[in-house]
Amino acid sequence: MGAIATTRQTALAVEEEAQYLTFMLGTEMFAIGILCIKEIIEYGNLTVVPMMPAFVRGVINLRGAVVPVVDLSARFGRPNSAISRRSCVVIIEASSADGLAQDIGLLVDTVSAVLEIPASQIEPPPSFGAKIRADFISGMAKVDGKFVIVLEVDRVLSIDEMSQLAEASPNALEVDAP
Amino acid sequence: MSINLDQAQQTFIVEAREQLQAMEESLLQLETDPGDDDAIGAIFRAAHTIKGSAGLFGLEPIVSFTHIVEDVLDRLRNGSVEVDAGLIAVLLKSSDHMLELINVAANQGGTLPPPALQREVELCQILQEYQAPSPAAAPTPAPETNPSEPGETRLWHISLRFGQDVFRNGMDPLSFLRYLQTLGEIVDIATLTDALPAAEAWDAESCYLGFDIAFRSAASHGAINEVFDFVREDCEIDIVAIDDAAAPQGNTGLVTTSPEPPEENTALVATGELLGDQRKTPRMPAQIATDKQPVTSDSKGKDGTYVRVNADKLDELINLVGELVIASAGASLLARTCHNDPLQEATSSVSGLVEEILDGALRLRMIPIGETFNRFRRVVRDVSQELGKDIDLIISGAETELDKTVVEKIGDPLMHLLRNAMDHGIETAEARLAAGKPAKGHLHLNAYHDSGSIVLEIADDGAGLNRDRILEKAQERGLVPQGASPTDQEIYNLIFEPGFSTAQAVTNLSGRGVGMDVVKRNITLLRGTVDLDSQTGKGTVVRIRLPLTLAIINGFLVGIGQSTYVIPLDMVQECIELSEDDGLASREQGYLDLRGEVLPLVYLRDHFNHEGPPARRQNVVVVRYAELKAGLVVDDLLGEFQTVIKPLGKLFGALRGISGSTILGSGAVALILDVPALLTQIAQAENRFNPTQLQQANAR
Repeated sequence: MGAIATTRQTALAVEEEAQYLTFMLGTEMFAIGILCIKEIIEYGNLTVVPMMPAFVRGVINLRGAVVPVVDLSARFGRPNSAISRRSCVVIIEASSADGLAQDIGLLVDTVSAVLEIPASQIEPPPSFGAKIRADFISGMAKVDGKFVIVLEVDRVLSIDEMSQLAEASPNALEVDAP
Repeated sequence: MSINLDQAQQTFIVEAREQLQAMEESLLQLETDPGDDDAIGAIFRAAHTIKGSAGLFGLEPIVSFTHIVEDVLDRLRNGSVEVDAGLIAVLLKSSDHMLELINVAANQGGTLPPPALQREVELCQILQEYQAPSPAAAPTPAPETNPSEPGETRLWHISLRFGQDVFRNGMDPLSFLRYLQTLGEIVDIATLTDALPAAEAWDAESCYLGFDIAFRSAASHGAINEVFDFVREDCEIDIVAIDDAAAPQGNTGLVTTSPEPPEENTALVATGELLGDQRKTPRMPAQIATDKQPVTSDSKGKDGTYVRVNADKLDELINLVGELVIASAGASLLARTCHNDPLQEATSSVSGLVEEILDGALRLRMIPIGETFNRFRRVVRDVSQELGKDIDLIISGAETELDKTVVEKIGDPLMHLLRNAMDHGIETAEARLAAGKPAKGHLHLNAYHDSGSIVLEIADDGAGLNRDRILEKAQERGLVPQGASPTDQEIYNLIFEPGFSTAQAVTNLSGRGVGMDVVKRNITLLRGTVDLDSQTGKGTVVRIRLPLTLAIINGFLVGIGQSTYVIPLDMVQECIELSEDDGLASREQGYLDLRGEVLPLVYLRDHFNHEGPPARRQNVVVVRYAELKAGLVVDDLLGEFQTVIKPLGKLFGALRGISGSTILGSGAVALILDVPALLTQIAQAENRFNPTQLQQANAR
């Protein structure tokens, strides 16, 4: 059993093709492994949660469950995404340090396609120069001669880190005197 | 079958815990009134029932230990042992130990940790002192002390015909045989299959078997008969002694083994006791019947007709009802937009019913706080003895009901506060007398409803908090800046700060400064608050304010721009329209003149950084929480709404002023305002502009 598992893992890492969802953020293309994605829904009906950092857009009702939506562009320290007709929310199962899974929606500009990218086509992340935090990048995939940034979802959507940011956010502390 | 038995065993464990609880209560009752025969009877019955049912499930450790306890209780009942403090103490410890044994059984396959085994041996030794009939009798019940059947085992013929329904009643014939083996040795057993029907008439759930057993035991007829207590009703049981065949075995292994390992020890006592039992009047079936009667009528009288329901099922139901509430709200909303009168009528009657169902479902979860309070009698007794103080616990409002989850989670914080009150609050008898107070200290536990929440009060008549000392400590630790003059209330509440302790001596119980902050945190997690009032020399009152339920609240919907917020209806006092002129004036002042009263205003639109201009006509929702009163300025009032609380998750853990979210009939998510947090947050923010209190606000 253990042996099978290891062979599987190595196989995955070395040669087997993995599926990735690619999407656009502005003019840049990103990819995330398809295994952590639960569904993709149209953007809409979002409730803004006040006093949260800019990257938390708000919450949506996903069939009775309240799911937070994270603005990926703002998470990378860029301005908030502009909402367009093609804006989508990718629902991702994120895990926190205490092992509890929570669904988080990821607001992206456009969802492109599901691609099979062989591991050999993915290069290790550069230590700098990608304009987003190095630990957010899992690798650089080559698709049609262009580089696509494969995101490290666990880092990007780390609930622990994001809630810490929310705590320290100037937005959260800023209280207008009535 | 095995599943059924598992379930039966679960029931046994639950019931045994209840029996132990009842036993403990009666023991405490007995302590205050040593002549109370009813209490003795109740204790005995509890122990007897536990032993009986434990035997049924083959839980040997429980049976053997409980047997000793039961025997002492029996002697207590017929007056050969007097009630004294030592006996009560050892019986209380025994009931603790029984609880531990039952917990081990509940964990299935677990064994007692060594310290518990050690304790069992010690308890057995103490119990034996009470058990020994008289000083004349040797501590080991030697066979020769019994003139009639001195350790001689007899051969019995037991003829058993189990009733057909024995399986359906949750009994396993095998377990009776197993239990029988604890009394002696089954020499020979013949299974009688003559009642077996033809294959086509066979019902797999019926029991067709009978047994003829040759049984060698030193036990009396009554004791053997007792084994089958639980199946007597639908079984034919015939127990006959075969006197001629009585093999004079004299010394059976059990009676003579030297009591070295604990297991052997208890076994020895058990056997010895059976001999003793026999010496007295053997318990005959008729006597057992009269014994049992009061138990059933007693428990029936106490708990009416209860249905035991799994808590998970209840939660599932309440969740579903919550969804139903949302769905029906959605339907009403749609009906209203359709302008179809009959449809609107139909939906409104549906929502009326749904509301009733919801109320009913929520009431299912409500349990009286009394049970939790009663548990503390024991704690108060133990702790006051340990401290050498004489403390009386007075309980009132025990019938006040609140959510099961809240009741479960409030136990620990309450316990902590009680211990604190006993250790630090109530003085020693000498100090009390010197202060002109009665030597006996009083603790008062009270519960009552107050504006949609429940209040639990722990009051002591001790020395009260030392205001100056707390202030001094707080300044030392930098919690309060030098020169600031906080109110008494603020000073007292400082003891809920992490690591705060004014006790000079760290005792076993408290004083390490760990705890009060944990108490506060636990209560905050239940969406409750805690505050404290103290009068030097007169005592301290700790008030815990808790929501009635955790799952659903009645909300008042308000709109700010496109967003909708829910204000818990319990806190809403009234709504006022803010005319344009008034609005401008009060906006400058930051408060409103409410019938001659100053009402501070909170502009939620600004507070929550909503963009866009405010509506021309604004409204003020007057909210009150405890002593705080404020007006929340919003755009629209949208009316009442039954709100199913959905937690926002960890990501929003740091968010203050919003306690959760809910889904509206339209499918949109609305945020629920946490009024107390919101108001304190704003108060703190304002304090920041006040330089003397700047530090204090930051320290918090």
